[in-house]
Amino acid sequence: MQFDLLINAIIAGLMLGAFYAAVTAGISISFGMLDIVNIAHPGFIILGSYIAYIVNSRLGIDPIVVAVLALPVFYALGALVYGIYFQSFEKRGQDSLRGLAFFFGLLFVTEVMLILVFGVDYRSVTTTYVGGSINIGPMEFPLRMLVPAVVSLGMFAALQLYMSRTFIGRAVMAVSQDPQALELMAVDPTRIKRIAFSLSMATCAMAGAFLIVIQPVLPSSGREYIGRVFAICVLGGLGSLPGTLIAALLIGVIESIATTFYGPSWAPAVSFGLLLLTLAVRPSGLLGR
Amino acid sequence: MAPELAPNPARDANSIAVEGIDAGYGLVRVLEDVSLKVDSGETVALLGTNGNGKSTLMKCIMGWVRPSKGSIVAEIDGERHDLTRLSTVQIVDLGIALVPEGRRLFPRQTVEENLLLGASRPKARAHIKTNLDFCFETFPRLAERRHQQAGSMSGGEQQMLALARALMTNPRILLVDEPSVGLSPLLVGRTIDAIKTLKEHFKLTVLMAEQNFTQALRIADRGYVIVHGRIEFEGNSADELNNNDLIRQFYLGV
Repeated sequence: MQFDLLINAIIAGLMLGAFYAAVTAGISISFGMLDIVNIAHPGFIILGSYIAYIVNSRLGIDPIVVAVLALPVFYALGALVYGIYFQSFEKRGQDSLRGLAFFFGLLFVTEVMLILVFGVDYRSVTTTYVGGSINIGPMEFPLRMLVPAVVSLGMFAALQLYMSRTFIGRAVMAVSQDPQALELMAVDPTRIKRIAFSLSMATCAMAGAFLIVIQPVLPSSGREYIGRVFAICVLGGLGSLPGTLIAALLIGVIESIATTFYGPSWAPAVSFGLLLLTLAVRPSGLLGR
Repeated sequence: MAPELAPNPARDANSIAVEGIDAGYGLVRVLEDVSLKVDSGETVALLGTNGNGKSTLMKCIMGWVRPSKGSIVAEIDGERHDLTRLSTVQIVDLGIALVPEGRRLFPRQTVEENLLLGASRPKARAHIKTNLDFCFETFPRLAERRHQQAGSMSGGEQQMLALARALMTNPRILLVDEPSVGLSPLLVGRTIDAIKTLKEHFKLTVLMAEQNFTQALRIADRGYVIVHGRIEFEGNSADELNNNDLIRQFYLGV
């Protein structure tokens, strides 16, 4: 019985971790690769959730399909936000502290906007798979966790392939190391950062849909994830997508086990404890630069 | 394009002409009325000790520093371009590559990734396979270490990678800024030899800033000596530079 509990805690943790990976992918790009502290990222994820919610409730389209359709919109939004950030802060060399304030402001603006439009009630989506589950022996895979997890892993693989196999992807990985040297390769570093930041924003559409499939969402739900996503990003190692994935799965499993055996309130303590311990031994994170 | 830039009939001519430029950083003037030219197929040495403006001149050509006066015109495949009006990205895209001072590699990326980044511009992508093969053939060390992080290699290997990466942009004109910095005498010699090999293979026009006069003059056709931001001496052959009294006294120590 205890063993079944453990197995299911690990399975739930892996699926939770795959979801955390989707939530952190964007931060891993913007914070890990571009050195842009986009603290508003979880806010845009909630925006993604609400877009999935509104289209789902009006037209009955599956939230994950909505997210895929919304990718270009979020990409364009990312280009806009980066444009403002670049003109107002980065270009003048005031990126770190004032940039942080800028993104903190954006977080509040999106949250307040959502409250004004949708109110402060919980919102959820209806899909064919939300209540179902697959059972293999004692193992249970609830579909509302499994579907987002599988799509998330697919998204992660696509991002990793893009970063490692394309000219633009390689330039994204290089841009924070020496933007000026990139100009010597006939590559405009600002363009590369804009593309990468837009990609990071596009992941919010997906993560937002995953979140609202997994649980009902409030305009302020994003706040719960701010600490967690930065912790996963740092634990995995800045600038490494595979590191982020491993860290996300690790945190997911540990939180799930802690929740199952010791209660939900222990989960954050155990995962942040792991972060501190890892950083003490490996300051650059699991696969860090 | 400016009207004074008349088209040139020579289809494969690749040259640079710097005409009377002043340049500096803020109020500090580094270059004063500097003129030099590198004709098609030449290797020209820009000689001078530290702090005399060699790197600033290189940065002016690449568009990193804008001259306050004077002109910089490059001829690429017979077509003339006013470099003072172009961005660095556009200048590199014309076919002018710089191996910068301090190499400026991407240290956390592998040797191969650094080389592929060099081939980012569309005109270079077409030659990626042949250029990569040539780089690995010319620098076998880079082939051995192609999956190693660039920052973990020795100084000499990094200099070779910086040269190879510049070649991956498939340039017509190659600028090399202080290739000898931080290298042992043996490696300086090898680096200079490598520049000669690359120049001959790719039929490049080369401008090399260097403070190691003896080594630079081994491969240079001509040279300029820059002192306190002014061209103080122009030698029309390596012999002329070697036998100049001023140079013998101050730089060669003989």
